[in-house]
Amino acid sequence: MKSIKALIIDDERSARAEMGRMLKKYPQVTVIGEAADADEAQDMILLLKPDLLFLDIQMPGRSGFDLLESLEHLPHVIFVTAFDTYALQAFEVSALDYLMKPVREERFAKAMDLVLKGLEEKAEPTVFVKDRGKYFLIKWHTVHLVESVDNYARLHFGTEQVLLRSSLNKLEDNPDCSMFFRASRGQMFNLNFVRSAEKNDEGMTVLLQTGDRIQLSERQAVKFRNLRFS
Amino acid sequence: MRKDPNISRYWKCQLAGWTIASLYWTFTGALYGGFQLGLGLAQLISDVLLYVLITHLYRNFALSNKWQDLALDRLVPRLVIAIPVMAVIYTLVTVLKLYGIKALFPHPGHQSLELFFRLNGLNIFMAGIRLMAIWLLAYHLYHYARREIRIAGEKSKLELSFKEAQLNNLSAQLNPHFLFNALNTIKSLIYTQPDAAGRGVDLLSELLRSGLYKGNTMLVPLEEEIAIAKDYLELESLRLEERLSYEFDIEENIPQVSVPRLSVQTLVENAVKHGIVHEKSGGKVSVSVSFRDDLLVIRVLNPGTLTLTEEGSGIGLQNLKERLLIRYKGKATFNLCQNDKQVCAEIKIPVI
Repeated sequence: MKSIKALIIDDERSARAEMGRMLKKYPQVTVIGEAADADEAQDMILLLKPDLLFLDIQMPGRSGFDLLESLEHLPHVIFVTAFDTYALQAFEVSALDYLMKPVREERFAKAMDLVLKGLEEKAEPTVFVKDRGKYFLIKWHTVHLVESVDNYARLHFGTEQVLLRSSLNKLEDNPDCSMFFRASRGQMFNLNFVRSAEKNDEGMTVLLQTGDRIQLSERQAVKFRNLRFS
Repeated sequence: MRKDPNISRYWKCQLAGWTIASLYWTFTGALYGGFQLGLGLAQLISDVLLYVLITHLYRNFALSNKWQDLALDRLVPRLVIAIPVMAVIYTLVTVLKLYGIKALFPHPGHQSLELFFRLNGLNIFMAGIRLMAIWLLAYHLYHYARREIRIAGEKSKLELSFKEAQLNNLSAQLNPHFLFNALNTIKSLIYTQPDAAGRGVDLLSELLRSGLYKGNTMLVPLEEEIAIAKDYLELESLRLEERLSYEFDIEENIPQVSVPRLSVQTLVENAVKHGIVHEKSGGKVSVSVSFRDDLLVIRVLNPGTLTLTEEGSGIGLQNLKERLLIRYKGKATFNLCQNDKQVCAEIKIPVI
């Protein structure tokens, strides 16, 4: 099995050293770097493309949450924090694991079990969104519709919606979002959610399983049909 | 007058008391010698007016001499004199009043004032002693009780505030973030620098001891308080390493003085928590202690910016402000200010 690349992000050197020490027991994990703040971490993530982040929340400058928000492709994340119950309460989706410093050996082993299992299977692309003071960790395959709102993209999933600071063009280029089809300038929808499509005068109407109707122009309708029959 | 319920209560008691007394006299008089409406009314009105007047004058005299603030042992001798004096005044007023009413309402048998006084003076004086004793004791005991209640209230407020301080302090010392970070640092040092780890355990123990198990002492010697602040900063610098530096500048002319427990510690903790840790490159916490015009001035400087939310939200600082206010009755001050990317927290404590 190929080695797992991990990045440790904490403003305290001793805390990073301690995490590194604990990771020594896992030969399948290679620590490819350490970062002392979010800016440094962001550069390293873009450059080294780690599979796994050990991330502190409170850091000088941008927080750990801010860092995740600025990432287009999210690696697997484990929060390591001294005491941030209030920050963790802000989680709408608690899919991320978190460890409390000092980290107990047994607890660490449990978290690592999950990570190793998760990384073996094909990871599901996710996105980290902060909206109205809450944090959401959303799997792209659960999102059925994305709409453009000013400088934001409104993600519709289930009965909820959140605003992500991103343009539709940017999302279209993101390999994590390959299941989406650009219907028009303002909308893109998840191909896995399509129930039926119907031709009409202006082009085509796509009906999603959620009941949403999306209008495609003549040009996009041709593209859509080619996609379906190819 | 209506604004102050004590004054209005005083007037209610005055009017009700003297009216009841006067009605009682009229009633007993009627039992013996028949009742005349005009005479009865004149007695009632003059009784209430005159006796309210003389006792009110006494009250003003007592108030202006602050008798209401006297302890019981100092008040009693004054009352022993005041009661007979008031009884004499009562006698004079009453004799003149009764003689005047007698003249207004023609009565068989004319007496000279002198004879009237000789016949009735002693009885009236004895009644005066009784009445004035009742009035003065009621008045002063009422105020004495109120004062006791007030003092007890202030005392319990001080105690409560201290208990709160102790609790807050417990949660501040054991500020989970601080405590667990410190423990994590020590854990890491155990493997890399065992000596530093040992030092960390010593410092943390000392802080826990002074924060939790020092009992009810509200004031501690300044040196002791400075030592706690130094321990705190040393422990934090094990964690923050080169990001935290600190210096103490203590003038030599400082007298032997006590300060509220954990006052300096609260200031340096805030300097680290709201200042240093937000700066990527860290900075220096400077503590200076000086003595000017009978005031002890403790000043803590740290890099950072003061934000309104931080100013309002610090439980530790809020609690320190309250403790200073109660302990020094407004003569101690606390100030937070910002100049040129430095935050300055300063307390001034009067040295008596």
